[in-house]
Amino acid sequence: MEELSAIPVWLCIPFAGLLLSIAVMPLIKPDWWEKHQPLAVAFWSVLFIVPFAAKYGMFTMGETVLECVVNDYLTFIILLFGLFCVAGNITIDGEFAGSPRINTALFVLGTLLSSVIGTTGSSMLLVRPFIKMNSWRKRKSHIMIFFIFLISNMGGCLTPIGDPPLLMGFMRGVPFFWSLKLFHILIFNMIILLTLFYFLDRRAYRKDIAEGRKPDIREPGTHVRIVGLHNLIYVAMIVGAVILSGMLPGMSAFQNADGTVKGIHILGEVTLGFPSVIEIVIILLAAFLSFKTTKEEVRIRNHFTWGAIQEVAVLFIGIFITMQPALMILKANGAELGINKPFEMFWATGALSSFLDNTPTYLVFLTTAGALGFKSGVVTTLGSVPVKMLEAISCGAVFMGANTYIGNAPNFMVKSMSDENGVRMPSFFGYMVWSLTCLIPVFIIDMLVFFL
Amino acid sequence: MENKNKYYDIAERIYDLDGEVYECVGSSLGRTFTGDKRTCVESLVKLMRTKPQGHLLRSELALISNMARTIRKDEDRSRLMRKYDEILKEIAELPAGFGKVEILDENRAKLNTSNLRQKFSKDDHLIICIGRTHGSAGNDIGFALADALRINYYDAEIFNEVLRRLDAEKDSVVDVADLGTNEIENKYQGSGRTLKERLKDFDRYHGLTKEDAIFFNQSDLICKKAKEEDFIVMGRCADVILANNHIPHISIFITAPFEQRVHRVMEVNNLDHKKAERLLKKIDRQHSKYYNFYTGQKWGDAVNYDICFNSASYGIEESVEIIERMLNQHTNA
Repeated sequence: MEELSAIPVWLCIPFAGLLLSIAVMPLIKPDWWEKHQPLAVAFWSVLFIVPFAAKYGMFTMGETVLECVVNDYLTFIILLFGLFCVAGNITIDGEFAGSPRINTALFVLGTLLSSVIGTTGSSMLLVRPFIKMNSWRKRKSHIMIFFIFLISNMGGCLTPIGDPPLLMGFMRGVPFFWSLKLFHILIFNMIILLTLFYFLDRRAYRKDIAEGRKPDIREPGTHVRIVGLHNLIYVAMIVGAVILSGMLPGMSAFQNADGTVKGIHILGEVTLGFPSVIEIVIILLAAFLSFKTTKEEVRIRNHFTWGAIQEVAVLFIGIFITMQPALMILKANGAELGINKPFEMFWATGALSSFLDNTPTYLVFLTTAGALGFKSGVVTTLGSVPVKMLEAISCGAVFMGANTYIGNAPNFMVKSMSDENGVRMPSFFGYMVWSLTCLIPVFIIDMLVFFL
Repeated sequence: MENKNKYYDIAERIYDLDGEVYECVGSSLGRTFTGDKRTCVESLVKLMRTKPQGHLLRSELALISNMARTIRKDEDRSRLMRKYDEILKEIAELPAGFGKVEILDENRAKLNTSNLRQKFSKDDHLIICIGRTHGSAGNDIGFALADALRINYYDAEIFNEVLRRLDAEKDSVVDVADLGTNEIENKYQGSGRTLKERLKDFDRYHGLTKEDAIFFNQSDLICKKAKEEDFIVMGRCADVILANNHIPHISIFITAPFEQRVHRVMEVNNLDHKKAERLLKKIDRQHSKYYNFYTGQKWGDAVNYDICFNSASYGIEESVEIIERMLNQHTNA
């Protein structure tokens, strides 16, 4: 699509308004918000669409909205939906008692798993066991907050499967296993955050015990049993679909003569590429088969409801539509920001990824870095990017998605599912207080150690 | 009194509603109020009294409604949401000033009456929890008191029962309550154990540390026994465990001047002064750490006990008699 020149900043007001609604409305009008979320989303979306259409014409507006809905939102929500369905059909029975030790150990496993099956897959798979294990405790919201920090975000930095921005990087020529170079940064962050978590959780755990709370461990032995284990095949199917969506567009069979990706034409330059269609079909098939082959009893025991995915689907379509002007401004001016040092890239990519979709943000700064004219480094289709700079962009995009509930897809899902299962999660701003006090200092240390 | 009953009535209905909602959902992930009914009701009443329409209480209730809204059967969902709305309405109508005039911790106040027997109803058992410093002859006083009152005396017996429940080998575990956390960690978390053994323990203790698993089981056992019989229990944070579970009991702390205790340890353990002193300090520190870890309270702090006793002032026999008199249970009376 043609670049639109001089997007006025005021067109970002609906995006800010929607974010503010998500942050404030659950606090001041919780019942109204719960019932009328679609209305609020429609209101802010229309508030963007109408002035945009007035300024650039109906066709451009249609193209812009359809481009983000068809090419960004659709694959985003289908992936989330698929993993949500499949993970909902796996239940872990057993009497594990949530304690600082086991929570920390599972965080290590979960964080590493995120790079194998993606942050969304890992989050959906582990959120219920974490809730169940810690259900005996009163103070448990911090556990789910660190779950979002580590499993839903940071863990995804090691492979292109882990987080969509890295998949974009892979599609632009960054080698598949290059992200493993971030391992030492991930481990460094895990050590700091898990140490902090352990002591916070230990304090909360002691308070719970002092109040007389105790897990039911009368019988010896934990008796762990996974029901619906065959659904891991469908998880693998979905992960495979994501990898395919990253690889197929580069193959000549899926390209037109001009190098664009073949697909279903929708409007103007908006085309739903065949690789995306294949991805969608495989994910939906996996979800369907998962439902067909798993007894309903498993979903009931898992407290499987559509509430969480419904909430995310509604809010994020509004977020995707209203954030377009902000992304356009970023694309138009990203190169002129004068950002050319790794630490600047780290903070710029990170700060914007906290509120905007981290995939386009990553791309903007990768493009900027590629255009800086470096002669050595990682060779991409956008130009050579020094290793340190690419590390900074990747870490910024992946890590700082944890700064807000809307920074990364699984964040809000984990919040919604926790809310539905007796965990009192903090509000939008309450969560940001956690990220400001726990994550930002870690990112400052990251900058000092790795990106200066 | 009318207001107080109203608070309890509402709190009980909230607890029951949560249970009903959880049952209708069919989930196994855990309900909103996971503690025992009495504890949950008390904490809800406390929330209502201190902040009748406050943010915390509303948040607790919102968690129930979050779950209720996901009930599959329309009929059940609307029935329970109606109940929820009714409770919410009643809470909104509660008098805001009530909490300001009421004594908040009246249960604690009841525990401190001059006649300790007043805190037991006809259906309650006589349970005496004795905490003691090492060398204060607390164990001897406890044992003699149990004998005089003709009730059971529990010390290591509780621990042995826990081992049986946990299916643990006796040699691999040491009585935490007797030694304190540090020493336990050194004793049974030391190196030399194979990965297989560690995994076996991990499974056996539900992923918890041994000392935590033992503490939780001890808590269970103490509460279970408290419903069945009269007894004296030594240490094991039993006073706080029973208080948390709203089980009437008498808590006694026995100590003696440090020098006096040193002399006793020197005689009993055949140690020189320096070694006895070092041993006492170490054991006091471990007891304090253990008690503080599991109760959040300060070990030996007079405000945490009904009676604090200096055994050096009376000796073993007279200490027993005094406690008996206080209990109004003197067998020779």
